[in-house]
Amino acid sequence: MAESIKGVSSEKDLERLEKALDFSNTMKTFNLNKNNLKVKTQNLLSYSTAGGSFIVDQSLISFMNFVVSSGKTEITLLDKNDIPVRIEDTEKFLDETSSLYFEVVNDYYNEYQKLRSSRKIEKVLEI
Amino acid sequence: MSKGIIIFAQNNEYVDYAKQACACAGYARKNLSLFDEICLITNTETLKSNETLINEYFDKVIVSDEFQPENIRLFKDTTHITEYASFKNMGRSEVYELSPYDETLVIDSDYFIMNDVLDQVWDSENDVMINCKYRDVSGRHKGNIEYLDNFSIPMYWATVFYFKKSDFAENLFTLISHIKYNYKYYYYLYNCSGNLYRNDFAFSMALHILNGSVAFDVPSLPFDYLNNSFDLDDIYRVNSHNDIIMYCADAERITNHILSRFKNIDVHIMNKKAIARCIDDLLTNGEKV
Repeated sequence: MAESIKGVSSEKDLERLEKALDFSNTMKTFNLNKNNLKVKTQNLLSYSTAGGSFIVDQSLISFMNFVVSSGKTEITLLDKNDIPVRIEDTEKFLDETSSLYFEVVNDYYNEYQKLRSSRKIEKVLEI
Repeated sequence: MSKGIIIFAQNNEYVDYAKQACACAGYARKNLSLFDEICLITNTETLKSNETLINEYFDKVIVSDEFQPENIRLFKDTTHITEYASFKNMGRSEVYELSPYDETLVIDSDYFIMNDVLDQVWDSENDVMINCKYRDVSGRHKGNIEYLDNFSIPMYWATVFYFKKSDFAENLFTLISHIKYNYKYYYYLYNCSGNLYRNDFAFSMALHILNGSVAFDVPSLPFDYLNNSFDLDDIYRVNSHNDIIMYCADAERITNHILSRFKNIDVHIMNKKAIARCIDDLLTNGEKV
C-alpha cells in the first residue's frame, strides 16, 4: 500500500527546508562572487605591446611557444582587434604573457579556493 | 607624445560631481603610472565651490562655460530613493578640442580605476578605443551588449574611452557635436529609447556613421568588459585604493542585496549617492598630486 502523504510538516522537515533555503542564499552569493572573480580574471588577462592588445590565453601561449621553439625571433600577430602587430622579440613576448597568465590564474585559484572553502560570506569577504 | 587623463565634472543640485571627480582622479593616480597628467574639465561655478580640493587632486583644470541645454534625468539611490535633477553631460563632444594631450583617456567621474590595465592604452595603434561589452556586477542585465533600442545599433559606453589626436578622432568628435545639436533627428533616426540626451547614444551613432553606416567593430580598450554597478547597488565599504565591497541588488528581488567584493578590478559605480556617502574614504584612499 502506498504511504500516505503527510499533511503537516514536522519540525524536522521545516528545519531541513530552512537549511536548504539558507544554502540557496549562500549559493547566490557564491555564484555572484565567482562571476565577479571570473570577469576580473578576464580583464586582467590583457597584455599590450607595440601598440596592440592581446588576450592572454592558453592558445596564445602555446602558439608563441611553437614560434619560439621553431627559432623565429620576429613575427606579425593579429591582436584582439584583428590589427596586425609586429612582435620584435618573440621570446620576451612569450615570457611576459606566460608570466602574466600564471600570476593572474594563480590569484584566481587562490581567491576561488577561499570562496568555496567557506560557507560564511563574512569570512570570505573579510567583513 | 603627451598622455593625459581627463575627467568631466559639473555640479548640479543633486550631486557634487567635483568631489566625486577628485576621488576618481585619486584612484586613477594611485593605480596607473604611465600618464603625464590628470586634468579636470569643469565650469566656473563648480570650480569655485571646490577649488582647494580640485587643486589637490588635479594637475590641470580647464574651465569651459559653454551653455548646456537643460537635460533632466532620474537619479536612483537603490530602490528606496529616486529624484529628478538636471544633468550637464553635453560637454563631452568638445573634449577633442579641449584636450591638451596627444593621447587622452577620458573617464567618467564615477569610474573607479583599481588596477593598472588601463596603462596599456598608451602608444596604441588605434586612434579611438571604446567598449560596447559590459557586465552588470549584480547579474541583473544578462546580455553583455546593450542596444540603443531593440531594433537599433549596439551601444558603446562613453564611460571610458581613449583617443589620440588623429583624423579619425577629429571626425568622430565633429560628428558627435553635430548629433548633439541635432539630437531629435538622430534620436528618431536611430529609434532610441528614453528621452535623455546620452553621450553613449551620441558616440554610438557617430561611430556608426563614421564607419559607413554598416555593421562595424571599433577597437575596444585593453579589457573586454566594462564592469558596471548600476544605481540599484550600494557601497558597503571602501577598504583601500583597489578594494571595495558592494551591495549588489539581487537579480530576482531588487530590494534585496548580495555582498560582493571588488579587488583589483575597475568598477563603474552609477549610484551617485552611494559614492557621496563614502566620499571621505574614497578621497583618503586615492592619491593626491
